[in-house]
Amino acid sequence: MFPHQFSGELLKLFARKRTYIGFAAFLGVEILILLLLNLDHVRRSISRVIEDAGYPAQDYLSGLTLAFLVLLWSVFLLGSLYLALVAGDVVSKEVEDGTMRMMLCRPVSRRRILSLKLAAVLVYSFVLIWFVALTALAVGFIHSGAGGLFVFAPMERIFALHEFGPGLARYFAGVFLLSLSLLTIPSIGFFLSCLDMKPAAATIGTLSFLFMDMILRNVPFFESLKPLFLTAHMATWVHVFEYSIPWEKMAGDYAWLFAINATLAVLALSVFERRDLKS
Amino acid sequence: MIRFDSICKKFRGRPAVESVSFEVARGEIFGLLGHNGAGKSTTFGIALGHVHADSGRVTVNGHDVAAKRASALARVGAIFETPAFYDYLSGWKNLRFFVSLSGPVPQARMEEVIRLVGLEERIHDPVRTYSHGMRQRLALAQALLPDPELIILDEPTEGLDPAGIHEMRSLIRDLRTRHGLTVILSSHLLHEVEQLCDRVAILHRGSLAFCGRWQDTGRPRWVLETPDAENCPVALAALGVVIQGDGSLDLPDHLDPAEVVRTLVLAGVRVTEFRKAARTLEDFYLERTG
Repeated sequence: MFPHQFSGELLKLFARKRTYIGFAAFLGVEILILLLLNLDHVRRSISRVIEDAGYPAQDYLSGLTLAFLVLLWSVFLLGSLYLALVAGDVVSKEVEDGTMRMMLCRPVSRRRILSLKLAAVLVYSFVLIWFVALTALAVGFIHSGAGGLFVFAPMERIFALHEFGPGLARYFAGVFLLSLSLLTIPSIGFFLSCLDMKPAAATIGTLSFLFMDMILRNVPFFESLKPLFLTAHMATWVHVFEYSIPWEKMAGDYAWLFAINATLAVLALSVFERRDLKS
Repeated sequence: MIRFDSICKKFRGRPAVESVSFEVARGEIFGLLGHNGAGKSTTFGIALGHVHADSGRVTVNGHDVAAKRASALARVGAIFETPAFYDYLSGWKNLRFFVSLSGPVPQARMEEVIRLVGLEERIHDPVRTYSHGMRQRLALAQALLPDPELIILDEPTEGLDPAGIHEMRSLIRDLRTRHGLTVILSSHLLHEVEQLCDRVAILHRGSLAFCGRWQDTGRPRWVLETPDAENCPVALAALGVVIQGDGSLDLPDHLDPAEVVRTLVLAGVRVTEFRKAARTLEDFYLERTG
């Protein structure tokens, strides 16, 4: 019965026009970033960084590099917004609209309903991130063709260049890990959505928490507190582009994120189980 | 069929339902009445597990709704005064989704129920294009799927026009007579409840003010119409009967109404009409709720 119910939940999610705002916005941003990267002085700056490292810029200023830059620059901020929007809505909007009470007239547990919704939101997150990654790659290839991957992530102190084959493999591994990292955003949104609050409050609460976390993480004086910030663990996906991948550190970060996500899911369930749903 | 055992619920310290107990038998149409805020929706909410009772319990076919929700609600359908659907989906997709939460339902059964509520022509249109009456019918369709024994209707005629109310009333009657369903409904339209329900419960400020057949309660009142009203009090005094200003009388249990007429005629009072006063549910409800 779960697959049938789950397909219904996905149908509800993907039949709404607002679900696609994120997809459209990302496509727009990708095109905008590529247009900006096409400006002479921007291209020269990037070329200079590659050439300073002793590599020919024309080999690495490729579609793969552009796709990576799009991901690095846009996904966290813009992704947060759309993932928080969908996750913040997923329970609270149904409670507000009254459809949750209709669902709960059925012989189905609240736990089952929340599991379906959480699973649907996680699927949405994966689909959105992979959509961004694949369209960025497609647009990048159309614009600049195939070539090596140049990775420059100053915040994580990563500078690396990879040939096309290994670069593409690392790109897909990076997208997969990024998808896992970003699951924390819908987890927070989902938790807030299960509390007795309006959908907009759940979305804004999620974004506020994430942005605050990110701002504090970047304050130099809080460097020693970095392991306590969620976004520090979420940023671990970029390490897959390092020459020597720090698997142990990454595994630790993902264990940390998994623990946070699981805790939020359990808290969401226990809060929602106790709620009275009235008109 | 469904039994409410001393259910109590407070919201922020304010009692919403206090020690309410009643039972609805299989095949009954039962009305739950009360002013706004009397506790009707809370009572229904507890019956469906939407609201957690502070104490007491509700059982459906012997299954505790709080402890064994799936078994208790397996054969229960419900609709609310403002049925909520996914407006961007068609009526059909809405039904498919809600029904999926109960278990698989054959397409033929869905089509049968859609025909029963008269939505077959519009079922594939988006719900946002439906009128209030159509939404109510769609809500009834989802309540009737897959195959309930009990349906709970919270204000099912709210917002409907007179034709819609008539249609809904006929449908509810059909559900009992043709399909053998047990129905609990709440409504402010006491005339509707009077026509439909076998028994009623009246909630007043969260407590049960009455439960049973309202028609069987109290002594019937009688109405006397006469052009010689001024002579009546003296004539009736001998029988121990007091006539009210509106011409109505309460007869003692032992007194034969024919004896009243005879006494009046012998006293020279011309009796135009002497009949049992029609007592409506509204009169009864207002008596009980002050």
